[in-house]
Amino acid sequence: MSTTVDPDRTIDVVGVAYHRPRLSHMQKRNLWGFLFTLPALCFFLVFAIIPIARTFYLSFFTFSVVEKPVFAGWENYRALLDDQRFHASLVNSFAYVFMTYIPVAIIALALALALNVRLRAVGFFRTLYFIPVVMSWVVVSAIWKMIFNRQGLMNAFFLEPFGIAPKNWLTDQDWAPRAIVIMSVWKEVGFFMVVFLAGLQQIPSDYYEAARVDGASGWQLFRSITMPLLRPTLLFVSVIGMITGLQVFVPQWVMTQGGPVTATLVMSLNIYQTAFVFLKGGTAAAMSVVLFLIIGSVTLVQFWLNRLGAND
Amino acid sequence: MADTTKQAIPGAVGPRRSPWPRIRWGHVLLYVALIAFAVLILMPFAYMVSTAFKTRGEVFTQPVQWIPRQINLDNFRDALAAYPITRYFWNSVIVGVSVTVLNLVTCSLAGYGFAKFPFMGRNLLFGIVLATMMIPLSSMIIPLFLVVKWLGWVDTYWGLIVPAGTSAFGIFLMRQHMASIPDDLLDAARLDGAGEPRIFASIVLPLSKTALSSLAIFIFMWNWDSVLWPLLVATGDRYRTLPLGVALFESSYGTNYPQLMAVALLAMLPVLIVFLVLQRNFVEAMTLSGVKG
Repeated sequence: MSTTVDPDRTIDVVGVAYHRPRLSHMQKRNLWGFLFTLPALCFFLVFAIIPIARTFYLSFFTFSVVEKPVFAGWENYRALLDDQRFHASLVNSFAYVFMTYIPVAIIALALALALNVRLRAVGFFRTLYFIPVVMSWVVVSAIWKMIFNRQGLMNAFFLEPFGIAPKNWLTDQDWAPRAIVIMSVWKEVGFFMVVFLAGLQQIPSDYYEAARVDGASGWQLFRSITMPLLRPTLLFVSVIGMITGLQVFVPQWVMTQGGPVTATLVMSLNIYQTAFVFLKGGTAAAMSVVLFLIIGSVTLVQFWLNRLGAND
Repeated sequence: MADTTKQAIPGAVGPRRSPWPRIRWGHVLLYVALIAFAVLILMPFAYMVSTAFKTRGEVFTQPVQWIPRQINLDNFRDALAAYPITRYFWNSVIVGVSVTVLNLVTCSLAGYGFAKFPFMGRNLLFGIVLATMMIPLSSMIIPLFLVVKWLGWVDTYWGLIVPAGTSAFGIFLMRQHMASIPDDLLDAARLDGAGEPRIFASIVLPLSKTALSSLAIFIFMWNWDSVLWPLLVATGDRYRTLPLGVALFESSYGTNYPQLMAVALLAMLPVLIVFLVLQRNFVEAMTLSGVKG
């Protein structure tokens, strides 16, 4: 081994004479490894880490996006305490997350269980249910804006024929958030269905066979095999649901612009409007910090809860 | 009963996993439910397509008219004349392809680096990369915009492409995949005198085709859908991407539903076609990402 390595080393020392502390082969190889990660790390530094650090910094200043910042201390954060729009956006974002992603998870799991059975045409249904996922939110929002029109499909096809009074879906403070939730459930179910399917396919089928031999019923199989073994998938689903749900922007921006009044004003939309429409950069930066901390802590709590549960 | 049916089909070729001995009512119910859900999923599309061919007067008729009286292409013609949709489309393609290529390069390199080289600080750096997944775009959008403005990249392709040049998810995906490449294979190449870049290019990359194509699909799809960032960076028609075009059309001609639906249909078709052609890869991509919960 050492004989094959030696000529290499001498070449190295001659070639790079100033390189006094000679790198061992392992170190040299690891240097390559670091170099491989370097391009990506540079992108992260410039377009993620520095910006998020700057957001923290700017949240202590008053500025519009076009002016020079003036130091303001905790003023931006203090102002958030009385900011009605900010409060509304917090409530609306969390309401959106729970009203959308709990039904999404339940429906997606049901579909995944149904498609996990050996049936014909399973692939066809899976593809079909996945179509809304690959469409852009803007297109989906445009279609559903029409569906929720006073004379649109929702009223004309699903409510009026059954004698239910038509709703002003997008102009009524109570119904506008629900309209967006209905649309989001339709759009997101396919994604989580495939995630659940992937999780279900990880469960070895011998487990089921063994339990069936012991006379377990379908419900017992689900409760004592499927659910416990699906725990990592459930964690993934709840984390992804929370993170994407709390960042939602497009449907509210396209369908209602956050209205009527602030009924559908969610955090991302509020940050965008505060910074780039009302030109209050400092306030928006403070809101951004709050959003960042919320998403960070929610994710950590979910991982922690999962670890607690796993130890049972 | 089950046995006789089995034998009564002389043409049955080969053993099937589940011969259909009798009607299973559970399966029938399942099919009914699956079809009902399929109808719910497809209904908005049918509504969009039929509206795109209608005249304005026909839009909201009672009861809902699913098939327009005549196929009328005026909406497409008028919409294309009123807005530079094709321009938006090509902008989206240029940005989408560039971002995807850039990501394939940065993510595969970094994934390999993190998977196979225990350099100092590797775990810390990888942890930081994963943590950036939690940073919402709207939380860093103000400084990001200021950086891009400072670089003079507002209203350029650079501004749309470069900030999206890598992705934590992509690095994670590539690392998971590349960790499964046997070390012996790499060591053998090293003994043959291949340098690290060459090993990466001629051994690691060819072995990662599935993961790379999954990554490409994901990145392209996300980018095609991206709105908030282009909304800030592309202020004029020249660099506006397709979703922005649709949104703009919506806000200025929002009540002209037939034209809006024509635009939406045009915007949707390319993605739908790509999806239907590559649908197996899509699902594979999803499965790959879902595996490691």
